Amino acid sequence: MTKVLLTDVDGKVLSVVKGPTGPEHRRLANEVMQRALEQANLQLDLVSYVVATGYGRLNVPFADRRITELTCHARGVYSLFPHVKTAIDIGGQDAKCMKVSHGRVVNFAMNDKCAAGTGRFLEVIAVALGVKVEDMGDISLRSRKKVHVSNLCTVFARQEVVARLSEGEKLEDIVAGLHDAVASRVVGLARTLRIEPDVVLTGGVAKNNGIVRAMQEHLRCEVLVPEDPLITGALGAAILAKDLWQESVARGERAPTELRRLKKATFFT
Amino acid sequence: MAWYCGIDIGSVYSKGVLARDTGLFAFHVMLSGANHRATAEAVRQELVTRADLARDGIDATVATGIGAANVHFANHKMSDIVCTARGTIDIFPSARAVIDVAGQSTKVIRIDEQGLVVDFAVSERCAAGSGQFVEAIANVLRIDLADFGPLSLKSKKPIVFSTGCAVFGESEAVTRVAEGVSKEDIAAGVNKALADKISSLCKKVGLELPCAICGGGALNTGLVRVVEQGLGVELLVPPQPQIVTALGAAAAARAWLSED
Repeated sequence: MTKVLLTDVDGKVLSVVKGPTGPEHRRLANEVMQRALEQANLQLDLVSYVVATGYGRLNVPFADRRITELTCHARGVYSLFPHVKTAIDIGGQDAKCMKVSHGRVVNFAMNDKCAAGTGRFLEVIAVALGVKVEDMGDISLRSRKKVHVSNLCTVFARQEVVARLSEGEKLEDIVAGLHDAVASRVVGLARTLRIEPDVVLTGGVAKNNGIVRAMQEHLRCEVLVPEDPLITGALGAAILAKDLWQESVARGERAPTELRRLKKATFFT
Repeated sequence: MAWYCGIDIGSVYSKGVLARDTGLFAFHVMLSGANHRATAEAVRQELVTRADLARDGIDATVATGIGAANVHFANHKMSDIVCTARGTIDIFPSARAVIDVAGQSTKVIRIDEQGLVVDFAVSERCAAGSGQFVEAIANVLRIDLADFGPLSLKSKKPIVFSTGCAVFGESEAVTRVAEGVSKEDIAAGVNKALADKISSLCKKVGLELPCAICGGGALNTGLVRVVEQGLGVELLVPPQPQIVTALGAAAAARAWLSED
């Protein structure tokens, strides 16, 4: 998904818009930006500084600066939870664990090599189980006895749970077992760093209350989740944009120097 | 003359072999499905029908594979690695190693002149190292599994997968299709990715020559070719690569009967 977040100079959020990314929308960050401007009732030339982040940050031609999602996530999470020490982001195709000190990333570990331990694991298996991924959290909370999923690989785990279902295991117990599998894998990744509270969980998977519960069990501590766990990267990017703009103003520079136009991207990376 | 039977219930396919002292008499391959007990019975039924035998007309049966425990009529159960080694030496007495590319795993087994296992390595944690990766992408490309090998051999420019995961690989294949990349280049890319995993597994155990290749993956001519290129050797390919393990089980059944 492409998220655009606009703030004023004090960091107050003016608008938030989420749009699809997908293969056909990869060039179209400009359209999401346009909607965010409309929502905030702003013209583009009133925007002082634009920071792009995420996998597709190179496909935002109107950005003044591109900053990695790790830096932006950490900054965004820190602005919401000033005591954060460990930030974990579970997205649709990766999982990132960050050690955060005063809003800066001091160490990180990530998995973008394997679908297990990412949102994709749940998406793939939800289809096989015939449930909506957004319903999985509530389904799992009904479970009394979770079914252990022994396969790590998403493809093998999908076969395993379908077999369990045909053996008569309850759907909620299977879904709880799947959440446990994701949590155990992500916490395993986080343990390569030293986990310290406060722990904050973000990313689309953080909307799943079953995952949050499983993460708490595995981490043996409370896991904090922002109200909108999808936008912390964009929020951090906006805060960094504000900081960068203020720094350049303090140096007496006019930023940005180039007139910005809302173009669609002309290249892929 | 006695009848020996080997039944290999795999994660995807079940294979049965019926043999006599004179050699292989009949074999049968079918999908394993969800009920392995019924599948094992169906395999036996097919074999005894071909030989015109009664249901209990087989003198000794050895079961192997992931579902071996469900072959209720077996006299004995054995590890699939032992059976694959034994089956390989039965077909290629000179072979000192075999690569088994199966539905849910890949194995490299070093064997001695009697067909006993010297050492082995298994990749079974990840679908990208198994035949399932090929099946998943064949599904995306909407091509028959049987056409996968020949199609991939037509490729001039195999794609390079940026991921080692079958699930992410599936999405990557969809993206490549949308970008207009040809099916043969995608198929060849899949075979190359799998061959690379097989090569590193071979390095783990140390490859001995001559080396054979078996399992459903050996039916994929394109895969066999890139594995050969990657290892820089020529592989022995049996005429029926899927039944090698069942054949080994039948040989074990014969040995079991003569010991008894």
